Amino acid sequence: MENFSEDIFLKSLDVELSLQQKTELENALQNDRQLQKKADQFVKLRTQLQRNEVDSFGPFFAERIINRIKSLKKEIDYQIFFFFKKYQLAVLGVIVALVVLNIFSSDHLTLQSIFGFEEQQVEDLVTIDIYKDLTP
Amino acid sequence: MAELKDEELITNAQQGDLTSFKTLVIRHEGKVAGVVRSMLGSTAEAEDIGQEVFIRFYEALQKFRGESAVGTYLIRIAINLSLNELKRRKRRFSIFAREEEGQFEVDDNNPMDLKEMINHEFNRLDVDFRAVATLRLVEGYSTEETAEILGIPLGTVLSRLARAQKKLRAGLEKHLN
Repeated sequence: MENFSEDIFLKSLDVELSLQQKTELENALQNDRQLQKKADQFVKLRTQLQRNEVDSFGPFFAERIINRIKSLKKEIDYQIFFFFKKYQLAVLGVIVALVVLNIFSSDHLTLQSIFGFEEQQVEDLVTIDIYKDLTP
Repeated sequence: MAELKDEELITNAQQGDLTSFKTLVIRHEGKVAGVVRSMLGSTAEAEDIGQEVFIRFYEALQKFRGESAVGTYLIRIAINLSLNELKRRKRRFSIFAREEEGQFEVDDNNPMDLKEMINHEFNRLDVDFRAVATLRLVEGYSTEETAEILGIPLGTVLSRLARAQKKLRAGLEKHLN
């Protein structure tokens, strides 16, 4: 019975009790000195636990956070740079290989042969399909 | 900047404005510090966890849709990180139990005041009880808010609260008279 009343008392500190529970608790508190003592202790305990002052992590906490964010951003930038650096080298290697292949396959050293461009004449452009239908 | 609402500061911060984010940090530092210190005590790790709370928040900023208040969101991160830290400590404690045992002994030659005794007993509570007690009894969140932050039913909050208070009272009985 005492435990039940104790539970009801603790509940009353956090939620609204039903009318019946309120009556039961009031009766128990009036008749049970042990419960009264416990109730006083619980109230004292809760008062002591309540935080009355605003806490903080000390001066310049926000500045420390912002500095960490800035250094995190730099770190991410570096990570992205180094992530692509691997691919940059691979792509460069492929380009060099293709250029060398072009030089060897064309047997002479001109810009056209290096980059694989075909020499275009003005006449070649005129023969593009869009002009074909316009010619009688 | 200080007069802007949290939602406006969030929108600015999502667009890369660090000054707005700094204002949010200043605004919510107190609550986060209270929760972390209550969970972990005033230890060196407490500030590290506090910093981690805001860094995690910054990293999740683009996904933040404002479904819960900024304060509630931050306290949820603070509680989760504190619980992780306590679990880590528990593992470490079980390994180095002998070395750290003396840390929790009460020095009879240097009696603690009631506040210190309460802190001492509070730190001995199981982590789940401590989380509920921190939010409801120390920080003053309502039982509904406590349930929402911890993601547990209201009934569980009430039963953990009752058990935590009974344990604390039992440990402090002679000091509470």
